[in-house]
Amino acid sequence: MNRHTLFGGAYALAFFSFVFGPLVIMATTAFNSSRFPRVAPWECFTTGWFGELFGNARLMEGLMNSVIIGVGVVALAVPIGLAGALALSELPPKLRSMLYTVLILPILIPGVVLGISTIVLWGQITRGTGAGFLYNGYFLTIVGQITFVSSYALLVFIARLQRFDATQTEAALDLGATPGQAFRKILLPFMAPAIGSAAFITLLASFENYNTTVFTVLSESTFTTALASKVRHGTDPSLSALAVIIITLTLVGALTNEAYQRRKEAEAGGRASRSPLYANPVTRALTHPGIVFAILVTVIGGMSYAGSQYDSSVCEAAVLQEKLDRQEELRAEQRARIEAQEADQQSTLPKSNSAFGGAFGGLGGGTPAPETPVAPKPESPSAFGGAFGGITAPEVDE
Amino acid sequence: MPDRSVLLDHVSIRFGSFTAVDNANLKINSGEFFSFLGPSGCGKTTMLRCISGFSEPTEGKVLIGGKDMAGVGPNKRPTALIFQHLALFPLMTVAENIAFPLEVRGASKKERRRRADELLDMIALPGIGDKKVSELSGGQKQRVAIARALAVEPDILLLDEPLSALDLKLRQHMRTELRAIQKQVGVTFIYITHDQGEALTMSDRVAVTSRGVIEQVGEPDRIYNRPRSAFVASFVGENNALQGFIKGQSGDLAALETPMGTFEARVGGGRKYKPGDEALLFVRPEQLIPGATENVFQATLTRQEFEGATNHVFAKAGDTELRISMVNAGLAGSLPGQGESLSLGFAPMNGTILPVGHMASES
Amino acid sequence: MKHLKLAYTTLLAKHGMGAALFIAIAVTLWVVVFITLPQLSMLDYSFRFNLPADQIGTEADHYTLEQYRSFFFNADGSFNTLDITILIRTLIAALIVTMIDVLICYPIAYILAHGAKGVAARLMVIGLIIPYWINEILRAFAFRVLFGSTGVVNTWGMQMGLWDAPVDFIRADVALYCGLAYAYILLMVFPMYNAIEALDHTQVEAARDMGAPLWRVHWRVVLPMAKPGIVSGATMVFMLTAGALAAPQILGGPSSLWFTQLIYQWFNESSNWPRGSAYAVVLLVTCISFVLLMMRVFKVSVGEIGK
Repeated sequence: MNRHTLFGGAYALAFFSFVFGPLVIMATTAFNSSRFPRVAPWECFTTGWFGELFGNARLMEGLMNSVIIGVGVVALAVPIGLAGALALSELPPKLRSMLYTVLILPILIPGVVLGISTIVLWGQITRGTGAGFLYNGYFLTIVGQITFVSSYALLVFIARLQRFDATQTEAALDLGATPGQAFRKILLPFMAPAIGSAAFITLLASFENYNTTVFTVLSESTFTTALASKVRHGTDPSLSALAVIIITLTLVGALTNEAYQRRKEAEAGGRASRSPLYANPVTRALTHPGIVFAILVTVIGGMSYAGSQYDSSVCEAAVLQEKLDRQEELRAEQRARIEAQEADQQSTLPKSNSAFGGAFGGLGGGTPAPETPVAPKPESPSAFGGAFGGITAPEVDE
Repeated sequence: MPDRSVLLDHVSIRFGSFTAVDNANLKINSGEFFSFLGPSGCGKTTMLRCISGFSEPTEGKVLIGGKDMAGVGPNKRPTALIFQHLALFPLMTVAENIAFPLEVRGASKKERRRRADELLDMIALPGIGDKKVSELSGGQKQRVAIARALAVEPDILLLDEPLSALDLKLRQHMRTELRAIQKQVGVTFIYITHDQGEALTMSDRVAVTSRGVIEQVGEPDRIYNRPRSAFVASFVGENNALQGFIKGQSGDLAALETPMGTFEARVGGGRKYKPGDEALLFVRPEQLIPGATENVFQATLTRQEFEGATNHVFAKAGDTELRISMVNAGLAGSLPGQGESLSLGFAPMNGTILPVGHMASES
Repeated sequence: MKHLKLAYTTLLAKHGMGAALFIAIAVTLWVVVFITLPQLSMLDYSFRFNLPADQIGTEADHYTLEQYRSFFFNADGSFNTLDITILIRTLIAALIVTMIDVLICYPIAYILAHGAKGVAARLMVIGLIIPYWINEILRAFAFRVLFGSTGVVNTWGMQMGLWDAPVDFIRADVALYCGLAYAYILLMVFPMYNAIEALDHTQVEAARDMGAPLWRVHWRVVLPMAKPGIVSGATMVFMLTAGALAAPQILGGPSSLWFTQLIYQWFNESSNWPRGSAYAVVLLVTCISFVLLMMRVFKVSVGEIGK
C-alpha cells in the first residue's frame, strides 16, 4: 500500500505543479523590470508595473462597467436560479428532467452563441418596437450573462435544496404559519448560505466572462474584454501585476473562508473543545476568521507599502545601459526574422485595431445594420487573417 | 371544557388505485390518549395526515370538535403534529422554536418569551431557551417538540412515532412522561406507532390497523385478551394458532376439531358458526399450562430460550409448533429436558376461536 | 400543461401566493425570453440576407439558404474546405483537450476521493478551486508567459540542452492545448470526484484482497462507478473547449483558427450578422449532436450533467 501512497503523492505533486506553476511564474514576472513578462533574464526587482496597471484608463473604466454589470447580473440571476430550483422540486419526474435539461443547457451552449443570439434578438426587438434605449452594452450584457449565469446559481440551489427536510415546511404550516410565512421564515433562512455562495459565484462568472460579453457589450468594454484586447495587442508585465493582485485576493478569501468553515464545523460537531487548536486561548484567537483576515491584510498591506517605497531606478539604469549595447544586435536579428516570416506568409496583414471597431459603429441610431467594415475582409475569413499579427513577434516592442 | 373529539365519518383515502385507508369510522373522545397501532404501510400515517389537514379524504368526513374540516388547511386546524423526526427548526434557538406558533400569529417578543419559558418549565427543561437545537440530547429534543406543539394550545395533539429514533431506555422513560404530560394538559393525544408496547402502556384506547382497515378498537387489555380478528390476535402479543373445523357451538363456547384433538374455547367477537365451518383457535403462550386438566394434549419439547424471568419453551404437537411461556421458578423449580413429553392444557375461556383471516406475519 | 398547473398549485399551497407567482414568472422569463427566443431569433437571422438597414422588411428581405450554402460551398461551387476544415479541426482539438483532461484528472479525482485525508484533502480542494477564480484571460496569459520564445519552458529547455534554438510552442499549438486543458480541469475533477466518492472504499480493498492488480481494480471497480462523472465532466469540457474564444485568440498560433474565431470575424470584422448566425448555428448543432452521440455511445443521460 505504501508504494501506492508514494505514487499518489508524487502524482498529486506533479499535478499541482501544473496547476500552480504557470500562476507562480506569471506572478513572478510582475516584479521583473523587463518590458516583456519573463523570469529570465532577471533584470531588476521592481514594483513599477502595479503603478502602470492602475494608470491604464481603459482597464479601470472596464472595471467600473464590470461592477455595474456584475451587480445587475447577481441581482437577477440569483432569484432566477432560486426560482428554477424551487420549480424543479415540485415537478413530476419526467417534466423535471426535461426542464432540468433546458435550464442547464446554457452552461453547455458556447458562450459565443449565447452572445450572438442575445444581440440578434434584442436588435430585432429594437427594430420592431423602436425602443432604442434597450440596445446598449450594459443591458444586453446583463441579459446575455443572466441566461447562463442563472444556471450556475441553479446548481448551487439544487444542491442545497436536496438537503432540505420538507417536513420543516409542513411543521411550520401545522403550527399555524401561512404558506408565505413558512417560505420566508423556514425555507429562505435555510437557503441563505446558498444564496450567499450563489451570489459570489454569479458575480465571479459575470466578471470573468469573455465569450458572451465580447459580443453583447457592443462599443463599451468590461474589465475582461479590455484585458483580452490588451493581451491580444502586445503584453507587458502590468498584466502579471494584475494577476498578483487577483491571486492575493483569492488566497486571502480562501484562507479566511477556510478558517471560518473549520471553526463552524468544529463548533457544530462539539469538537471545538477537544481540538488542541481551539483549546489554547492564544491559538484559538489566532484561528478566528476575523483575526486571520486581519493578519493577512496587515501583512499584505505592509508588503505593498514596502514595495511602493522601493526604488529600482538605479538598477534599471544599469540594465538599460547593458541593454542598449545589445539592442542594435538584437534588433538586426529580429528584423531578419520578421522579414523571413513575412516572406513565408504573404497574406499576413498588419493588425488593424478593428476588434472593437467595425461591427458596432452604427449603434447610435439603434440600427445594427452592417456598415462597411473598417478592415475589409475577403469573402471567407482567411486562416491567416490579421488577428494574430501581434503574436508573431511580440518581443519587438521597445 | 372545549370539545376535543375527533370523528372519522366513513373516511376512505385512495391514491390512484391504491386504497390507503378503507372506510374508517370511529370516534376519538375528548381528552383521550388514543393510539393507532399497526405494521408499517397499514395506512396509519395517512390517517394522521388526513386529520392534521395535509391531505383530504377521498370519501367521508373528518370532524374535529364537531366541525367538518373539509377545505380547512393544516394551519387553520386546532391540531398540532409531532413529526417522526420532530422537524425542529435547526436555525432557531429552542425558545424561538417553541414560540414560532406565536410569532406567526403576531405575538409580541415579550409575550413569546414568556410563553416559551412557561412551556420549558412544563417540560422540566427550564433555562435552555437560548440553546441551539443541535446542542440538545435526543430526549430533550423530544420534549422541546412537544412544548412547541403545545404552544398553539391545540385541542388535538397528533404524534407520528415520535419515539422511534430513541434508544430503548429513553423510549420507556418517555412513555411515562408523555402520559403524564397528556394528563396535565388534558389535550386529546392521537398517537401512531408500530410498537405495541408503546400503544398498550400509554393509551386509553387502541385502534389496531392493517391494510388500511381498522380491525379493532378498544382498551389495551380487551385488545390483548379479546381479539376480534386473526390479525389482531396474531399482531398484538405472541399467540399460538391452531386450524380446525367447528363441531358445534353453545352460546359463548364452541368445540373445534383440530389434528391434535378437539378443544373447547370461547368464541371471539360473539360470532355464530355452523358445524363444519373452518376456524382458528388462538391460545397465548402463557396460558398453555403443563398439567392442566382441561383441553389436554401431548407435546414433545424441542428447544427452549432462557430470558431471565421467563422461559420460552417450544414444543411440537403433531405438525404444529407451539410456544409456551413459563415463569422462572428459580432454583426451587425444575424444567423439563429436551425431547421429553409434556402434557399441556388450557382453560376454555383462555382460548379464542376466530374466523380464518390474514395474520400479522403475512401483512 | 396539466402537470405545470399541478406543480403551480402545489407551490401555491406550500409556499404561498407571492412565492408561487415569483417562481412561475421567473422560470417562464428565463426559459422563454432568455433561453428560447434568442436561439430562435438567431436561427431566423441565419436564413436571411445581409442587407443594409433601409432594405430590411422590403422585397429583398426574404428567407434564403445562402448563408449555409456559403459555409459548405465556395462561390464557384467547390467545397469550402477552408471553413469545413476549421470546424473539424476545432472539434478534434476539443476532443484531444477533453481526453487530456480525463487522463490527468482521473488520478486526482481518485486520490481526492479515496486517498487524501483531512488537511491534505482540504488543501487539494482549495488548490483546485483557486486557479478557477483567476480570470480566464490571465490564465491564458500565464501560458503565453510560460511558452513564449523567452519563456520559462524555452529558457530551461535550452539550459538543459534539450534543444538549441527557442521552440515556437505557440505556433505549434502546444500552448493552446495546455491552456485549454488547464482552464477546465476543475470542471472535469469535480463530477469525477462526486461519482468516485460514492464508491465504498471497502470495495476497492475487497478487490485488492482478492488479488486483483491495481489497474484491474480501477478498470472493473472504480471506472464503472466513475463513468457518469467522466461523461458529465467530458461533456462540459468538450463543449466549453469547442466554444472557447479567449484562449484561441490569445494562445492560438497564427496559422490555426478556432471555429469561434471565424464566427467572431463574421460578426465583428465583416459585420455580416446573418453569416455569423449561420456559422453559430452550425457550431451549436454540430457540438450538441456530437455530445448526444457520445452520450448514446456511453449510455448516459443529460440529467447527469452538472451533478
